[in-house]
Amino acid sequence: MEPIRPAPEAVSGGDTGLDALLVLAGHGDQAAFEAVYDRVAAPVFGLIRRVLRDSAQAEEVAQEALLEVWRTAERFDPARGTAVTWIMTIAHRRAVDRVRSAVAAAQREARAASALPSVPADEVAEAVESSLEAGRVRRCLDGLTELQRQSITLAYYSGYTYPQVASALGVALGTVKTRIRDGLKRLRDCLGVRW
Amino acid sequence: MRIPGLRPNPHALAGAYAVDALDGTERTRFARHLASCQTCPAEVRWYVATAAELGLAAAVTPPPALKGRVLADVAALSRARSVDAEIAALLSAPDALVASAATSAGGTATVVASLGAAAMVFTGAGLPVLPPSSVYELWFVGAGGARPAGLVPPTPAAVLAAGLSGGDAIGVTVEPAGGSPAPTTTAIVVLTLPA
Repeated sequence: MEPIRPAPEAVSGGDTGLDALLVLAGHGDQAAFEAVYDRVAAPVFGLIRRVLRDSAQAEEVAQEALLEVWRTAERFDPARGTAVTWIMTIAHRRAVDRVRSAVAAAQREARAASALPSVPADEVAEAVESSLEAGRVRRCLDGLTELQRQSITLAYYSGYTYPQVASALGVALGTVKTRIRDGLKRLRDCLGVRW
Repeated sequence: MRIPGLRPNPHALAGAYAVDALDGTERTRFARHLASCQTCPAEVRWYVATAAELGLAAAVTPPPALKGRVLADVAALSRARSVDAEIAALLSAPDALVASAATSAGGTATVVASLGAAAMVFTGAGLPVLPPSSVYELWFVGAGGARPAGLVPPTPAAVLAAGLSGGDAIGVTVEPAGGSPAPTTTAIVVLTLPA
């Protein structure tokens, strides 16, 4: 059964209008891509900035990610997932790749060393723009166990690999794998995710 | 902790994969597993869609200048794609003529021309790199003199030039950066198309 969801704002998981626009962009329609941009630029930039913790770098990586969306749009298949998932996946992968690249890794190492083991108590509290979406996600994250929530937020919002998560939280690798998976299952049900 | 002799269940990584918490090697290994696994793709899709919701919650409006940069990239890429398509069409034109010769500066200049398309594609191989103050300029050389046919960008690429007339030869000169309306130096090569 589909839980009741708040009205979507700029974009949400089930935005079929965005799917259609991305398909058009895949056929080379620049006006459609501009409409895609208007809907997803904020989540793309916000997510990347969240992972990189640096606005200037985030702008650069967001530009690369959005260009990748344009370049690969012809491969987007609405039958296999929503446009917003496709786009956020590209954005997240780009952010994570950047954060793990050699230079960034060295800088992060220094920061992580001072930050560990005190994991930010509430990653989402740092958030950025109050929105229905953020509120919904926040509530659902609050419904997870502490370990599930920390594992997921460190991996997703901080770009940690799961071994890094394990060492940050002082738990076994297998525990992190399981907590991420179980946490995602609970989030999926809580958020009423569709694809 | 990995127990020696016991292969870890790759399936357990579905969640970590969805939040990009695998390093390159494990990511590749899991992607291989995904391709041969009956139940994983659906499970992973759910997780990826759920992770995307986490991303949406981090939305922050990007600086307005980002849009102009992304759309300019997209327009440039589109132009390049359409030039590529025109070049491909010209190279396979039924009336395509080819002329190639060594230049007096070194390297080889080659043109593929189609009188039907009134255009040509120029490529240089091994032409000396010019200082930023100079540029290679192409000319259509006909009975009325030399007509500018475009500049060769410093990064060697095929140059598409329109405006070819019957009986034209193709000349190349070294000109001051920005090019000249008429040749100011002796051509380093003049290519005559086969009759």
